[in-house]
Amino acid sequence: MGVNSVTNACAHLQNASRARLGLTSLPNNKYNLRLALALHRAGFVNSVTRAGPHPPPPETLLTFEPEPVTNMNVATRRLWLGLKYWNNEPVMRKVTPVSKPSRLVTATLDELSRVSRGFPAGHLKGLNLGECMFLSTDRGVLEVREALERKVGGLVLCRVS
Amino acid sequence: MSAARPAVRSLFSRHLAAAASAAASSTTAAGAPVRPAVIAAAAVTSAQSPSCHHQFHSSAQLASRRRPRFKSVRAEEMGLVSEKKVQEYSDKTFPRYTGDEMAALAEQYSPAQLAALEAGEAAIDPRDLTIQGRLRVDPYRMPYIDDFAEIQPIIDRRPRKQPPPDPNARFMNLDEFTEDLIKWADQFQPGPVTGTLKKLTDFVPKEYRKKPEGQWPGPVRTRAREDFAMYIQEAASKPPADPDAAASGPTDADVLEYILERSSMTDGNLTSNSSLAPALPAKIPGVTGLYKNAIDPADEGLDDTGIYQELKKRTNMTVREIINTRAKLLVTRYVTNQTRLGKIRSTSILFVAGNGNGWLGIGVAKSVEPSAAAQRAKMLAIRNMQPIRRYEDRTIYGNVEAKVGGSVVRLFTRPPGFGLRVSHRIFEMCRAAGIKDMSAKFIRSRNPLNTVKATFDALVNQPNPEEIAIGRGKKLVDVRKVYYGGAVH
Repeated sequence: MGVNSVTNACAHLQNASRARLGLTSLPNNKYNLRLALALHRAGFVNSVTRAGPHPPPPETLLTFEPEPVTNMNVATRRLWLGLKYWNNEPVMRKVTPVSKPSRLVTATLDELSRVSRGFPAGHLKGLNLGECMFLSTDRGVLEVREALERKVGGLVLCRVS
Repeated sequence: MSAARPAVRSLFSRHLAAAASAAASSTTAAGAPVRPAVIAAAAVTSAQSPSCHHQFHSSAQLASRRRPRFKSVRAEEMGLVSEKKVQEYSDKTFPRYTGDEMAALAEQYSPAQLAALEAGEAAIDPRDLTIQGRLRVDPYRMPYIDDFAEIQPIIDRRPRKQPPPDPNARFMNLDEFTEDLIKWADQFQPGPVTGTLKKLTDFVPKEYRKKPEGQWPGPVRTRAREDFAMYIQEAASKPPADPDAAASGPTDADVLEYILERSSMTDGNLTSNSSLAPALPAKIPGVTGLYKNAIDPADEGLDDTGIYQELKKRTNMTVREIINTRAKLLVTRYVTNQTRLGKIRSTSILFVAGNGNGWLGIGVAKSVEPSAAAQRAKMLAIRNMQPIRRYEDRTIYGNVEAKVGGSVVRLFTRPPGFGLRVSHRIFEMCRAAGIKDMSAKFIRSRNPLNTVKATFDALVNQPNPEEIAIGRGKKLVDVRKVYYGGAVH
């Protein structure tokens, strides 16, 4: 599973957020889906919906019944993410990819515990106020605090604040 | 292949037009078997072209990217400028007066005025108004077309309600002055009017009354003056018939008004619009009383010169609070304005002010006189004070960065007891604001003015954890000082 799509998703989400879009879409793949769900758990996005090339109607986002993915329609499926805003500011201000295809950054549990407390560790700077870091672990894509809870390290995907 | 490109699109439309005409005329032409294939391809492409471009977000497209669906059509071709349309529009927009309206006007205006109105109406053809005139509909249009009933101070000249000053006016002589004084005093005559005071001319024989005093013979004049003096003395010594009436004479304000405002010229005390003959002590409404430096007892004698009065009004602080505010000069710049008369050197000064408990402000002022600039900058700094967010009243929230010009300032939150490991200017700012633990770094330019401004920006724009938590739908709990009875650093 290449980290490529996640890197692209980071750039796209930051752009869409700064352009004040209400709903945006990512290519449908497992990595993007797991990152989107992790973002949703952390409260950065409103909704994650799998739909076709056109966005699902906004009023039905919460009750949307996606059509089953088949061989026929899998190529046109996209993940539609509802972006959040508060006080005229995007909730997801800055999305910075950490790993890229040419350099994968991993972090051990010790490093993660230091980083989450705001101290630098290895290549990673400490987390700032309100910053989140997402990791790809063997338990799925997790936020750094979730990873610490489960005592797993992994591949650092991105930092979001 | 994209059908959105203009060249391709025009090519297609040309093909379509040619193919349609060809199909209508004959299908036996040599090119005929080829053309339907082109039509089919074009039709397929144009039908599919919208679905080729998926819109991957739900917001509306930019208007500038849109092209009009139709080519522009001239007004003539649409029949908008035909004689009938013009007539219709002018009848609708500029209708003639109806009989009822004329009757209503006749009630209000005289026949001559009505005739003038009719002549004016007849002079302008509604057709000209339609074709040549232009009714403005923009937001900046005049609120009237040609109704000058109201005076608009921005557009219209100042109305001159007063008559022009009397060109022949001169200063009054003694007699005219006396007469004017008596006339003024008469308006305060209480109770029923019993007759005005006698004048000097009442004490001379009738034949001299019309002549000026200079032409009276000497004995007549002397006698008249003696009699008049006696009469005045008598009138003054006579006790007033009504004691209340005596008390209701001219008040001090009336006397002052007489002294200050009554004209001493023979112009009948008329006011004028002209600056040629101004009333000397001009009492300008809105300015009177502003220049009184009334000393406020609440100032405890700290501000007898009144320099803090404006600031006191603006900030609602007491003078003692203003004086106790920590203000510090941080930046001095010597700036020069090159004029054709030479260089004018002034001093630009930046002050920082704070109450040592979470409020901070900066003020910049420039003056030829350094002390004046410093004074003004200090006042501005106090005026601009605003609350700074502080974590535990000692450090900042998170790490913040701000940029002004080429100066980028990074401020870092620090644990208790860390102290202020910052440059001297930021140190003074922190002290004024009451921040005790912080470190800072200038990663680019260290221009004094810009670093101070950037630091102020960074301190003001600290992130608010509560807002972040609300945005993400999380509950925020500060667990510091929860364990060990709060006995932790």
